[in-house]
Amino acid sequence: MKKRAFAMLMAVVMAFSLMACGNEADNGGSGGTDDAAETIKLGGVGPLTGGYANYGLSVQHGAELAAKEINAAGGVNGKQLEVSFQDSQGDPESAVASYGKLMDWGMNVCLGGVLSGETASVVTAAKADDMFIMETTGSADKCIDGNGKAFRICFYDSYQGTAAADYLKDNALADEVGVLYQSDNDYSAGLYSAFVAECEKAGVTVKEAQTFTAATATDFSTQVNALVNSGVKVVFIPIYAEEASTFLTQAKGKFAEDVYFFGGDGLDGILGKVSQDVSIADNVLMMTPFAADSADPKVQAFVKAYEESYGATPDQFAADAYDAVYTVKAAVETAGGSTSGADLAAVMTSLTLEGVTGTMTWNADGNTNKAASAILYKNGVGTLFGQESAGAAA
Amino acid sequence: MQLTQKKRRRGDLLTAAAVAVLLAVMAALLYSGSLTRQVTNMLIPTAVYIVMAVSLNLVVGLLGELSLGHAGFMSVGLFSGCLVAIALADTALPLAVRLPASMLAGGLTAAVFGLLVGLPTLRLRGDYLAIVTLACGEIIKNIITNLHITGGALGLNTAAIYAGAKELLPYGAVLVLLTVAVMLNLKRSKYGRAIMAIRDNRIAAESVGLNITRYKLAVFVIAAFFAGCAGVLYGHSLANIKAAAFDYNMSIEILVIVVLGGMGSVPGSVVSAIVLTVLPEALREVADYRMLVYAVVLILVMQATNNPAMKRFFGSVRERLTPVRKERAAL
Amino acid sequence: MTNLIQTLISGLSLGSIYALIALGYTMVYGIAKMLNFAHGDVIMVGAYSGIVAVAQLGLSPWVTVIVSIAVCAVLGVVIEFCAYKPLRQAAPLSVLITAIGVSYLLQNAALLLFGSQQMAYPKLLKLPIFTVGGVQIDGITLLTLAVTAALMAALTLFIDRTKLGKAMRAVSEDKDAATLMGINVDRTITLTFAIGSALAAFASMFYGMTYVYIKPTTGAMPGIKAFTAAVFGGIGSIPGAMLGGILLGLIEQMSKTYISTLWADAIVFAVLVVMLVVKPTGLLGKPMQEKV
Repeated sequence: MKKRAFAMLMAVVMAFSLMACGNEADNGGSGGTDDAAETIKLGGVGPLTGGYANYGLSVQHGAELAAKEINAAGGVNGKQLEVSFQDSQGDPESAVASYGKLMDWGMNVCLGGVLSGETASVVTAAKADDMFIMETTGSADKCIDGNGKAFRICFYDSYQGTAAADYLKDNALADEVGVLYQSDNDYSAGLYSAFVAECEKAGVTVKEAQTFTAATATDFSTQVNALVNSGVKVVFIPIYAEEASTFLTQAKGKFAEDVYFFGGDGLDGILGKVSQDVSIADNVLMMTPFAADSADPKVQAFVKAYEESYGATPDQFAADAYDAVYTVKAAVETAGGSTSGADLAAVMTSLTLEGVTGTMTWNADGNTNKAASAILYKNGVGTLFGQESAGAAA
Repeated sequence: MQLTQKKRRRGDLLTAAAVAVLLAVMAALLYSGSLTRQVTNMLIPTAVYIVMAVSLNLVVGLLGELSLGHAGFMSVGLFSGCLVAIALADTALPLAVRLPASMLAGGLTAAVFGLLVGLPTLRLRGDYLAIVTLACGEIIKNIITNLHITGGALGLNTAAIYAGAKELLPYGAVLVLLTVAVMLNLKRSKYGRAIMAIRDNRIAAESVGLNITRYKLAVFVIAAFFAGCAGVLYGHSLANIKAAAFDYNMSIEILVIVVLGGMGSVPGSVVSAIVLTVLPEALREVADYRMLVYAVVLILVMQATNNPAMKRFFGSVRERLTPVRKERAAL
Repeated sequence: MTNLIQTLISGLSLGSIYALIALGYTMVYGIAKMLNFAHGDVIMVGAYSGIVAVAQLGLSPWVTVIVSIAVCAVLGVVIEFCAYKPLRQAAPLSVLITAIGVSYLLQNAALLLFGSQQMAYPKLLKLPIFTVGGVQIDGITLLTLAVTAALMAALTLFIDRTKLGKAMRAVSEDKDAATLMGINVDRTITLTFAIGSALAAFASMFYGMTYVYIKPTTGAMPGIKAFTAAVFGGIGSIPGAMLGGILLGLIEQMSKTYISTLWADAIVFAVLVVMLVVKPTGLLGKPMQEKV
């Protein structure tokens, strides 16, 4: 017993000291990179395996594509970019450990997390470091709060919810709406509450609000019944494409033909999800800053390069990450080549960047301002809403 | 082969001393600045998992009942304790008062929930008890997700009480030592023997006059208390907590730790919690296979500990590795 | 009124799926006396086998049905042989932990093979949607109900009337006594698993046709809820599984419509807890006696 316990203790102590020592050498190495400064190291955290891997991989691919392009064009102030993504599996605890690993690696600029929960924890853990965070897709309102060196590319959730309500009002789409949101999802609940608040101001009535949770995301029959019975002409669905495809499949044929399903950028990729029968996505109206089939030459070039590299059409997540790396480039160049967090944060509010997700400027609180357009799907084809003729001409 | 009471005591002391030394070594490395950021960031989660595993081991190993709602108790403690901590954050009290106070609050709330869940359900056993604890864990998750005060689906913003490993480690160390000490003492006490008697033969235990429900309830409440305390510590190490993370999958992950470390073995749980927290971080490249490996480990450990042929095989390996025992057996 | 009827119909639709899954649960629990936590995941494997058969192998719907049943039945037997059989004498706790391990193994193997993104289950049958007086009934709902009822009847007959069924009942009552009577306990339990898993194949088809999208975690929640249904109806009782499944489906949809979709999960699980605490034998179950 005595010997066994002692052996066990020794094993654990050795394992830890091995890790500690092994990494000490790394520490020395990363300290040196600042002097040598051959490259700028960009580190990101996200779910690369597990149930949310599709989001994390999109972000990783988008960032790597941008870095490859920038490196081919001569880098940033003559320095090459190096990108490393660490897997969090979407778990905040693992994300914080990943951030630590990236710091040990000698990361210069952080691309934040992918999901909101992990982003909040990474941003808070980085507070004491002189680390600039160019957040890609963490969209929850407060997830970059409390760290003055954190800025983001994506919309924040309540902005999107508010914009959606305004869009309805401005385009006189409906006076009465129904809503279906996922009550245990932060993105969905965030958009929903902002949407409802703005509807009240704009004089739009939310006639029917239905919810579901991750555990009940398979059967939407009661929600479909309630929304059909309410007789609304617009159903706001601030949910992700996967749940939306299930909902729309079960709703097919039950709603009147002129009912719109109005959603945010979470719906991105809906056509791929309902690939068996694209007519399921008919009448889906999606408000998004990025559309892969936009006529903008910049977007076209990005989509083409992405498809060549990864064999898939880029989504919102990839586009945000792509823009994030170009934003880092612009910020470092404006700051005269410095990668200090304080220096980069200081120049952010003066930047204007034309990216694939639109023209961006930043507030001091780290949020961006950019326009969103709405895309309407019919028979598997998305066109800019209200500009069908213009879209066809282009 | 039977060890005497005295020798068992010595084994316990050694376990406690080993854990204390380990914590001291980690603290020394941390405060001298020789730990990497990655290891630093893993210290508190590791401490949390040790407490979770040791407390679940109380239920699974000592009482012999399967609880699949341990993560639910952790989240009750986490949310209640962190709400207290957030309320205290603006006061002039130092962390040394605020953190233990909120931990106590979280632990007690979790213990109350342990009692609430335990009272009606502990008449059940085996599969039924397991599935009811799973259901209770899911109900707790559902309630916390729908409550306003806990931030609902958006999660509780704990950035106000966030603290790094350097601030939290002493509290984590004390909590780990406390849990280990309570568990070891309980195991060797009159109560512990009563609980194990219930595990080994319920009807016999009942017939000698043991109040089964009371003992079971006590185990549940103590385990929930420590899970709640661990939750509060966990909440301080992250900036945003969502109830959805504490589902039955997390309970099962803790169960994997307990099973791998050996049911009923305190040092086993401690080592296994460390290994299962450190290993996935060290082997990030094969993270894809992590859960698959966990599943295989669960199945294999069960086969190994229950199959007579395998038991004999492992037994002989152990004897060869520890010649001391053989001598003792010969005596 | 229309609303109420529509809710009842969607409750029936959901309930008939639960009932179908619960049949498999109750069968295995009733005879092998173990909670096969992995039953829901066998359904998921069955659904993926259907997707592969149609989308990648181009098989016809009828062949796909046979392939799914074969895949599930073989999987069930393999799981029983590798994981559960060595634990026949072990404590229930060990068996349950093993079953959880098997469930995780199947989910994560599917995650590695098919990825985390959902895949669409092929339309094996084209059924119309009937509209009666403003109420819509999906053809698939009626078919699921009919098939579940037929399977329930067939199983009851099999267990009551055939020799193998009698052997199963004997094993369920007392394994040692059954052995003494010349019954091959191992083979009987293997057969139970084969039948239970074949039932999972049926569940996978109707689940796939009703809810279309399949993910590696697809089986987990319906599995747990179907277990709830089996307990509700009285675990081990075959008509009980049917009754419990349909009642649970109705309770879930009624609480979604008339109470709140926010609390539907909690309500369903609360039903399980209350049922187990108040009447652990369920609606149609027989009381179990514990032996010393």
